[in-house]
Amino acid sequence: MTALRVLNSIFTITEFELRKLRHDYSQVFMRVIQPALWLLIFGEVFAKIRVLPNADANYLQFLTPGVLAQSVVFVAIFYGLMLVWERDMGLLHKLLSTPTPRYSIVVGKAFSAGVRSLFQAIVVLILALLIHVDLNITPLTVLGVLAIIVVSGMCFSSLSILLASLLRTRERMMGIGQAITMPLFFASSAIYPISVMPDWLKVLAQINPLSYIVDAMRALLVTGQFASLPMDLAAIVAATVIITTLASVSFSRIIS
Amino acid sequence: MSVIEVEGLTKQFGQFIAVDGITFQIEKGEIFGLLGPNGAGKTTTIRCLLTLSRPTSGTARVCGYDVQKQASRVRELCGYVPQGVSVDGDLTAYENLLFYAKLFCIPGDVRKQRISEILGFMQLDDRANDLVKTYSGGMMRRLEVGQALLNRPGALFLDEPSIGLDPVSKRAIWDHVSRLRDELGFAVLITTHDMYEADQLCDRIAIMNGGKIAVIGSPAELKAQLGGDVLSLTSSAPDCAGVLEDLGYQLLIEPSNGAIELVAGDGEREIPRVLEALRVHGIAVEAVSLKQATLDDVFLKYAGKRIGDGEAAWRDTRAMRRAIRRLAR
Repeated sequence: MTALRVLNSIFTITEFELRKLRHDYSQVFMRVIQPALWLLIFGEVFAKIRVLPNADANYLQFLTPGVLAQSVVFVAIFYGLMLVWERDMGLLHKLLSTPTPRYSIVVGKAFSAGVRSLFQAIVVLILALLIHVDLNITPLTVLGVLAIIVVSGMCFSSLSILLASLLRTRERMMGIGQAITMPLFFASSAIYPISVMPDWLKVLAQINPLSYIVDAMRALLVTGQFASLPMDLAAIVAATVIITTLASVSFSRIIS
Repeated sequence: MSVIEVEGLTKQFGQFIAVDGITFQIEKGEIFGLLGPNGAGKTTTIRCLLTLSRPTSGTARVCGYDVQKQASRVRELCGYVPQGVSVDGDLTAYENLLFYAKLFCIPGDVRKQRISEILGFMQLDDRANDLVKTYSGGMMRRLEVGQALLNRPGALFLDEPSIGLDPVSKRAIWDHVSRLRDELGFAVLITTHDMYEADQLCDRIAIMNGGKIAVIGSPAELKAQLGGDVLSLTSSAPDCAGVLEDLGYQLLIEPSNGAIELVAGDGEREIPRVLEALRVHGIAVEAVSLKQATLDDVFLKYAGKRIGDGEAAWRDTRAMRRAIRRLAR
């Protein structure tokens, strides 16, 4: 009964987040702008400077999974802002007064953020194909990438929910979001390989979930070397479970 | 058994005591108002009853269930309209209702019918498929009340239901709430700092101040405790006051600006009687005025200050209007 109720709540919350998207899908395109710039400007320019030590892949191939991950993470990290806004309006009080279990609210919101990021990721993927980035596109790799994207969206939106429950104001959320997006991105394997980093940064990159997300997608879309894939996936799922749990425990603080 | 039973409820935030050992009961079919200025502890009381906030001490039961030990049962049986806006502007009215119907696990075959009933009842059926951000404040509030009815609650909680609304929408909300109470027979708890609202809508009110309940009673009872209305007469006849005293009226001691003031239980009915009696004695009266007792006077008596239309009330109204505008953006 409880398990059914939890699933019901998760899917209900997701369903209605997606209905909102249907009423106003312009935001999908807004969210594509930044990744498109990374791919089209940064990628094209960096491709001219040979940053990759072993050039068996070209730079745009290398960058595409990084930009896919970036497009998800940069949006998800600000997800908590919406919760703060809903709290300020009164929506969250209403939601918390229903019998819906607290953690199913967190998981539902995070899952819906993950599903929402699918749309922008698909647009970025199509964009990459349009500019002739040579990607390994099969039904299986695409499904794998999409699954990774949903889980990554959950991971970082849960992190954002956790931060929102601790920081509790829009200003602080904006501040922390701005402060951590770039370090997350640069201390990962998104735009250059970990092997070129100084040692201290390597350590950071190795505890950064974003590195594992990018690696997994890179294995599927570019290199075709699946040896480290199970390890990457395990790291992503573990990070998501831990952060979502922390966010669920902390969530009720947001209204107090 | 009362629907809501609160005993010695206390909520403390650090050193600050928001609610200080309050006790009251609300019966089935009763509209009960918590009346008081901002910061009196009204919203905190509601949050404790809705299991959103844990009481520091004391007990509270809603529909027979303890808010601390049986929180999820309580949540099943409560309808709640929070302060602010609790409908999602990016969804239609129908979707807003469907969302909560699903969260309350209302079976699919009942769901559709209940939603359309509610839409009809709240007179929103013709706009049901419009996005809520295109609604007026009054329509949003009607939808919120409708949303709170989906689970057929035994107790309905309305936190400042008419704040920020124009007089017509305010009146409409009051009508809806009393009609719902008559038809569905649940207990209603509203918080308000609007004396007039409490007077018009509530069967009983509790006046709250500084976290404590100063007095509980029906609006009429509370006003009667003040001794009734005050009639003020102006007459040039020198023996007017004497005649009135002979007639058995109790005069107030310091008649200001030459007027004679007397206490009358029910002022509106007393005026013709007084005038007739004076006419019989050949005394002409130039002017009569009636000052009826208000809940504001009651509040003044029990809380030692006026609640009225202070700065704080305006701040709330502005905040509410902003919230509605933000949604409509």
